[in-house]
Amino acid sequence: MGRVVPRPVFTPLISLSSPMALLEIRDLRKRYGPVEALRGLSFNVERGEFFGLLGPNGAGKSTTINILLGLIIADSGSIRIFDHDFAANHVAIRRRMNVAAAFTSMSGVLTVWENLVVYGRIYGVKQRPRKIDALLERFEITDLAKRRLQHLSSGQHTRVTLCKGFLNDPELLLLDECTLGLDPDIAEKTRRALQAVQQERKTTVLFTSHNMNEVEELCGRIAFVRQGQILRVDTAAHIKRLIPHQVVEVTFQAGSDLTPIRQLQGIARIEPNGDQSLRFVLDEPTRQLDPLLRHLTQSGNPIVDIHVSRPTLEDVFIKVARGEL
Amino acid sequence: MRFVNSQDYGFSTMTIGGLVYKFTCLCYRSLDRVFDIVYWPVISLLLWGFTSVFIASTSSFSGVMEFFLGGAVLWSLFWRAQTDVGTFILEDFWSRNVYNLFASPVTLIELFVAIGLIGLIRCILSFLFLNFLAWVLYAFNILDIGGTAIAVFTSVLLLFGWVIGILIAVLIFRYGLRIQVLAWSVGFIIQPFSCVFYPLDSMPGWVQGIAVTLPSTHVFEGLRYAVATGELAWPPLLLSFGLTAVLFILSIAYFQYALYQAKKLGLLTRFEMA
Repeated sequence: MGRVVPRPVFTPLISLSSPMALLEIRDLRKRYGPVEALRGLSFNVERGEFFGLLGPNGAGKSTTINILLGLIIADSGSIRIFDHDFAANHVAIRRRMNVAAAFTSMSGVLTVWENLVVYGRIYGVKQRPRKIDALLERFEITDLAKRRLQHLSSGQHTRVTLCKGFLNDPELLLLDECTLGLDPDIAEKTRRALQAVQQERKTTVLFTSHNMNEVEELCGRIAFVRQGQILRVDTAAHIKRLIPHQVVEVTFQAGSDLTPIRQLQGIARIEPNGDQSLRFVLDEPTRQLDPLLRHLTQSGNPIVDIHVSRPTLEDVFIKVARGEL
Repeated sequence: MRFVNSQDYGFSTMTIGGLVYKFTCLCYRSLDRVFDIVYWPVISLLLWGFTSVFIASTSSFSGVMEFFLGGAVLWSLFWRAQTDVGTFILEDFWSRNVYNLFASPVTLIELFVAIGLIGLIRCILSFLFLNFLAWVLYAFNILDIGGTAIAVFTSVLLLFGWVIGILIAVLIFRYGLRIQVLAWSVGFIIQPFSCVFYPLDSMPGWVQGIAVTLPSTHVFEGLRYAVATGELAWPPLLLSFGLTAVLFILSIAYFQYALYQAKKLGLLTRFEMA
């Protein structure tokens, strides 16, 4: 008897050729011994786009980024960046791109300024002092210029890494978990600075993060990766609609008789949520919400609180990670 | 991506300048890098200097200072060249800079030219300092052997030091930091077979078989021959120079292959995260 393979709800929505594509990845495959890290991964990133790559640990995001940087060689597939074949032109292409990754560093004994001068020269940056000054100011770390990298906190270090990433005005910037370990205040400032610099310079960004709010806030389109394949490429709003149901939590005044309300099973699934509170799960919110609210108000029980929960990107992420979508 | 790619031989003076700037900063910001130009070579010079003085005062053995001190000064050149290649590569592993460095447009040629330039400067500084110290302490000046002899000896030793350093770097890229001790210890394995302080024919036959394959042996044999006769033994020296030049080219090709393999196996990113 043949094995039944569950069909995913996701279907790839990938335009296979786009005149606007700055990065085109086709059928990328990579295997480490028995482990198949990438299984025919394909997607495009448009010029000037802030593009998110999402997926559970081991999905193949970092392998994809590392292949794009020339740090890992793919077994097969093709990559075109700036309309050139990456394998044949990787040095020239890398001059026009850059990376900021959380788990990497630069020379610890060198100061922030010295490290940025080194990478400024490596990337052929002209007017280095002016450019370095401007980036340090933008990421609010001008006072760290003379500090050794090894003496910085992780938040300061992350911002130095971002300065290095923008140093050569890259046309394509790869950001791999670049806000990892930042406190909420610094993370918010970093996101603001990142957005501002990206918009000023029209930089195309390929972004990976496990912070769903951050991905939703920054990225125009998102690609979901699972087991080395792209499941779906779409906007955050569209992706969230993959989980159709909404949950309405209603709390009634103490002493209310909820018996007639519990009989509304025809309108929505009802789950108990404490003595005076009920959860209504709406599988088709547009059809169910209005009759539900009418019934609730007609029941005569005073409502003291109502909360509507819509599916978040995190809900979708969890379902993807668990193979439920 | 192919193993041999013409882009890997690209050359930008600005990139080389950036790498040389980095290595220069590493030298003056890290006391270890200053210390190792001076410390071990001076210890070796003092050790062999006092030994030479003692032997000269108790025997009729002529040319003893040239024999031992010349060996000590020239050996420090090889050791410096060899350890510099390994430690400059290791610096990037220690500071988790391998990822950023190899994701940048740096080519192998640029990397090796930069390491070669800074290594050459450090070797010259170390060599001049030691020679000055030998002259002050023991009235010994290796430059008395002659400019041509010094040029030939130092070229072979520098190139051979870089060959060994590159081979150690290959092993570091393959096996990571767990074998980093090789960067300092391999020189000590090669030294007994290089006839630094004793002639080739004083060693057992099987050791001679190994020793003649090392270019360094011909340099130290050549040094003793030059001290004894005032002339250079050109045929073995030219042969060892040619052999070293071939080994140098092969070692760079091997490094490129090792890097290609490391990228195929995904080792570069694993070391970074280790």
